[in-house]
Amino acid sequence: MQNFTKYLKAKANIAEPEFQTLIKKIKVKHIPKGNVILRPGEVCQHSFFVESGLLRAYTVDTLGKEHIIQFGSENWIVVDRSSTFFNEPSDLFIDAIEDTDVVLIDPQFITQASEISASFRKYNEIALHNHIRHQQKRINLLLSASAETRYIKFIKLYPDLTLRVPQWMIASYLGITPESLSRVRKELAKKNFKQN
Amino acid sequence: MKTKNIEVVVAPREPHFVGDGFRVHNFIPSGYHLDMQRMDPFILLDYNSPYYFPPTDTPRGVSVHPHRGFETVTIAYQGKVAHHDSSGNSGIIGEGDVQWMTAASGILHKEYHEETFSKEGGYFQMAQLWVNLPAKYKMSSPKYQEITKSQINRFQLPNHKGEIEVIAGKYKDVKGAASTFSDVNMFNARLEEGAEADFNFPTTHNTALLVIKGKIKVNGDKTIGTDHFVLFENEGEQFHIQASDKSIVLLLSGAPLNEPIVAQGPFVMNSREEIAQAISDYNLGKFGYLED
Repeated sequence: MQNFTKYLKAKANIAEPEFQTLIKKIKVKHIPKGNVILRPGEVCQHSFFVESGLLRAYTVDTLGKEHIIQFGSENWIVVDRSSTFFNEPSDLFIDAIEDTDVVLIDPQFITQASEISASFRKYNEIALHNHIRHQQKRINLLLSASAETRYIKFIKLYPDLTLRVPQWMIASYLGITPESLSRVRKELAKKNFKQN
Repeated sequence: MKTKNIEVVVAPREPHFVGDGFRVHNFIPSGYHLDMQRMDPFILLDYNSPYYFPPTDTPRGVSVHPHRGFETVTIAYQGKVAHHDSSGNSGIIGEGDVQWMTAASGILHKEYHEETFSKEGGYFQMAQLWVNLPAKYKMSSPKYQEITKSQINRFQLPNHKGEIEVIAGKYKDVKGAASTFSDVNMFNARLEEGAEADFNFPTTHNTALLVIKGKIKVNGDKTIGTDHFVLFENEGEQFHIQASDKSIVLLLSGAPLNEPIVAQGPFVMNSREEIAQAISDYNLGKFGYLED
């Protein structure tokens, strides 16, 4: 729980006595690579804080094609908000691309942490704004940006995922075909590769 | 001269697949005794013990992936592997050949079973090593040395009892075929039953051996079986091996670079910043492009 502890103490600036109260309510779970932790139709009780490993959240359309909504590597939170916070059946699959350890955060934890820690409340509010900001930018990129721009933004957001996931998953996240992604990478190499 | 004793004997771990073409036992890096520092400059050793691959029309192997900061050395004992990289080099190595690829500033490469070998199927047996580069050479130009069996110099043991192939470094007066960036010795000892050989390496070197085939006795007492790895103490210079059966032994000894090692996936550099730079350069196409 090293990363989550760091996250609570440093990012959310939680003091030691409050931290000791909160940490008792936290559960950790190991998810082996390939295991699905949420399926469409289920109601998800938790947000998943990724301690180590890699999760992905995705939908599958009527033709069976996968559309990746989010990757969650170390220190990311993956959650279906409509399910966890509004009790609706989920539209998403969430599974583990690598062996993953997650911290399970239930909504009561957020409520309680906000009650006992002003700094957590403030942090949570900023985190929500940040999440919404990120979603707005992602919608705009999917509606208006070129494949290259989408890829450039992706490698800034998730620098090491190009080494951790297959190209077709990156293409799925970007909303382009794997062939388009190959073309983008080839064109970048043409521009940037200088043979020694 | 003082005897170099065994520090630890490591049994082969459960094998895992690298891509779908290499079924390997990993020896380095592993937590107990054999992290990247302990056998510096040998920072990785994967050994594909003999494994039968059935015929296929689609060659098995590892698709395009990057490397920066070190060299990959592939020693073929059985089977054939084809290599292509983003510097425009390609080659096929088979039984007895060695491929020494210097990734240095960055390379993309792919390694697949050679086409005819794939179609016919057969036993595949190879060792792959990562040899770390000194900091001052990590960003030098990539290089590729294809060292065929006939190019490897050999020391003949008396009474036709076998030979020591000198891939790199020096054994007695026989010099290695590969050019290296630091003091590295890499030999294949091909021994008939009963053959004996002595080895001398400085106490400053990190030294190990892997029994590729057969069974040997080290320093007259300890018997080491097939697929087992022996890490030697640094203390002492000389050790002795005797082949209990017809054997092949891979010997490794090198002067440690004693520089910080920061590794992430296919990159091995000296700092976190250099790793971040490697990832960024790879993402932006600065390693070139290679079709899968």
